[in-house]
Amino acid sequence: MGYFDVPEFDYTRYSNRQLAAVPLAVLAVALLVLTGSFLATGAPVQLGMDFAGGSELTIQTTSSEEEIVQAFDEEPESVQAVTAPDTENQYIVQFTSTDLSSLSEQAEANLAQDGDTAVVQEERTVSESFGEQTQQTALLGIAVAFLGMSVLAFLLFRTFVPSIAIVLSAFSDIVIPLAFMTITGISLSLGTVAALLMLIGYSVDSDILLNNQILRRQGDFYESTLQATRTGVTMTVTSMAAMLVMGVSAWLFGVELLASIGIILFVGLAADLMNTYMLNLSLLRWYKFHGVRS
Amino acid sequence: MGPISFVKEYWRLMLLLVFVSFALVALFIPGGIMADDSYVDGESVNDNPTNLEYGLGLDGGTRISAPVVGMTAENIDAGAVDDDGQVDRERLNEIESTLYDNDEFELETGDARVSIDDDGNVHAEVFTDEVTEEQFAAALAEAGVEVDPDEDIRDGVTAETRNQMIETIQSKINEAGLDGGDAYESEQLGGQHYIVTEVPDMDPDELRNLLSERGIVEVVAYYPEDDAGNHTNQTVLEGGDIATVDPPQTSERGGGYEVPVEVYSNAAPEFQDNMNELGFTGEGQGMCQLSGGEDGVNFDHDGPQYCLLTVVDGEVIDAHSMGDNLARPMAEGTWSSDPSFVMGAPDQQQAQGLSVSLQAGAMPAPLDFSQEQTYSLSPALADQFKLYSLLIGGLSVLTVSGMVFLRYRDVRVASPMILTAMAEVVILLGFAALIRMPLDLSHVAGFIAVVGTGVDDLIIIADEVMDEGDVSSQRVFESRFRKAFWIIGAAAATTIIAMSPLAVLSLGDLRGFAIITILGVLIGVLITRPAYGDILQRLLTDK
Repeated sequence: MGYFDVPEFDYTRYSNRQLAAVPLAVLAVALLVLTGSFLATGAPVQLGMDFAGGSELTIQTTSSEEEIVQAFDEEPESVQAVTAPDTENQYIVQFTSTDLSSLSEQAEANLAQDGDTAVVQEERTVSESFGEQTQQTALLGIAVAFLGMSVLAFLLFRTFVPSIAIVLSAFSDIVIPLAFMTITGISLSLGTVAALLMLIGYSVDSDILLNNQILRRQGDFYESTLQATRTGVTMTVTSMAAMLVMGVSAWLFGVELLASIGIILFVGLAADLMNTYMLNLSLLRWYKFHGVRS
Repeated sequence: MGPISFVKEYWRLMLLLVFVSFALVALFIPGGIMADDSYVDGESVNDNPTNLEYGLGLDGGTRISAPVVGMTAENIDAGAVDDDGQVDRERLNEIESTLYDNDEFELETGDARVSIDDDGNVHAEVFTDEVTEEQFAAALAEAGVEVDPDEDIRDGVTAETRNQMIETIQSKINEAGLDGGDAYESEQLGGQHYIVTEVPDMDPDELRNLLSERGIVEVVAYYPEDDAGNHTNQTVLEGGDIATVDPPQTSERGGGYEVPVEVYSNAAPEFQDNMNELGFTGEGQGMCQLSGGEDGVNFDHDGPQYCLLTVVDGEVIDAHSMGDNLARPMAEGTWSSDPSFVMGAPDQQQAQGLSVSLQAGAMPAPLDFSQEQTYSLSPALADQFKLYSLLIGGLSVLTVSGMVFLRYRDVRVASPMILTAMAEVVILLGFAALIRMPLDLSHVAGFIAVVGTGVDDLIIIADEVMDEGDVSSQRVFESRFRKAFWIIGAAAATTIIAMSPLAVLSLGDLRGFAIITILGVLIGVLITRPAYGDILQRLLTDK
């Protein structure tokens, strides 16, 4: 066994209730955060420009951030400097207005050009009505994906408790990153929706592995659990590391799509570690020892 | 070991090698596996060392999506089709002209259309947002067509109109000399259709200008109506009457530009008769003092004028008199057998625009830019994104490799794991090059996700196979491998199910991500992961 060891966790010391309490409490807090945000702002998560409409410019200029803010008639929603190799003086500026042509005119008129490169390097706008349609489409997509996954879980295990354990922890895997987004102010974009959908696929892997090892194999419950945990934690931690690196490097380079996918998957996979090995496991243990199967 | 048993034992590994070599050929040999003519055309001759095609997000360019303005009364009972399926074209035209002449609202040229589709259903459309459903229904009622404004009239236009829009936009892009541009349709949830236009090398303002020009060209005769000095307009030629267009050139008659055109032979006699009747070839020959400028044509003048006006989208851009070269054959009646003449434009830009509009034809309806979605990326930043994608992808792969080495501390297990995961990406890239899928940032995210899920599954295989001590025999290996494969298959099925809505729904950037992830999972489960099992068996059973 190597340098990166999966810690062995003594499950026998805790009751099912104690084990399940932690993830359920976190889930409850997450739901509370989302409800609170919904009551306060009308949306559980801050909607990004893909869904709420707005404009974005990537500009190359020697002007300072302060000058950038003042260059536009409308105050920008956010200004982010891009930190990447071979790149200086690049900023991503977002607006709620959708009048792209006047925004890019203002940028070209009021900002200092950096050498020969054009001031406006990238421009993007989404109208409000287009955003609303995207919202509905995205909601439908998530609902269909989740439903499909649930049906598949039931088909695979054909028993209620193990299947519902998978569905419940997948649900929590999505809700926790959503609450994380609300708290940290990351807004929902197409990239984060993709990450949430990917989470449905990714997080179910470790649950399936655990269920399979415990239900379909002979042998001691704790031994099977230990095996499944060793493999599953390796998997999840490896993916988390990859996603963290991708998220952070993409964020520094200003490649938003990859950054949001990376960060959300990282958070979601962390939530998945907890949900799989505490929530799912406690449900399985209850099922194995007290369930109606004997 | 004989060749047959060798193949039997290592067919999975061999399959992987075959796929990787095909992918490498598709990626790196110029022309790839399916060489086609477009490659030789020079369009793809650039500094790109691979056969990969890049989309807007990695190559730069502008994309504008917008819906079409208009509403449609579908399947109207026009009485224009009889029981035998015979179509009464005159009746269709009659309804259309009633729409133009109705008392409820005013329409510009080209804003109404009554058409019949292949199934014999008649549809009426108006292309403006200044008409309400009630007004539209009332106007149709004037033409003797009863429709319920709430039930029979919907927002949007017919599929035929949209197809024509797309064709017109495509030819406009081509006429404007933009290689690699494209126009297509995307359907939103709830049935709204967006027309998406993508071009490299054009900023959003320019593209929006190109798309907002309907390109309805008319030649209007401006002549004295009576002796009191009142003048009147009459459309004598429409864009659809013009058969061929030559590139614009400077005018031989002093300033300005002109576009030489040839009129269809069936429209030519009428034009000729009109010119003769209205006096353009007689007393009006050469009698035009008006001319176009930057602000259009100034109509302040003294005395009678006989002008041919060039009108684009309802705006008069230039005025010319009838020259001797044209007047003589027209008066003699011989012009219609060689019906060519020139249309005037004040400057080169307008002449170019006129030429494009004439060649591409008119857009049947305007686009609604208040609902647009725009994305534009400069080629310089696109190049940076390519570099970043490579860096981010490389870093992610390095991280995964590092983790795997740390975990297993056994090169025999870890290095084939990483090689296998890379092989998956190579096969996917080869596939993308083969089908010429334009790669965007979302695809890059998909590739990284594929490496992630791929390694997950390889970890399952490795742990399962090495579990409970060394693998001593083939039989033990096979049974453990099969068990591992059940989990991998189930996990792959959930990923595919979770991603399939994205692959089908039109959620912009995300389609590419979903498609690559699904393809990657399939390639992984069917080809690369079984091969990893073979490698591991070879290494662990010490044969």
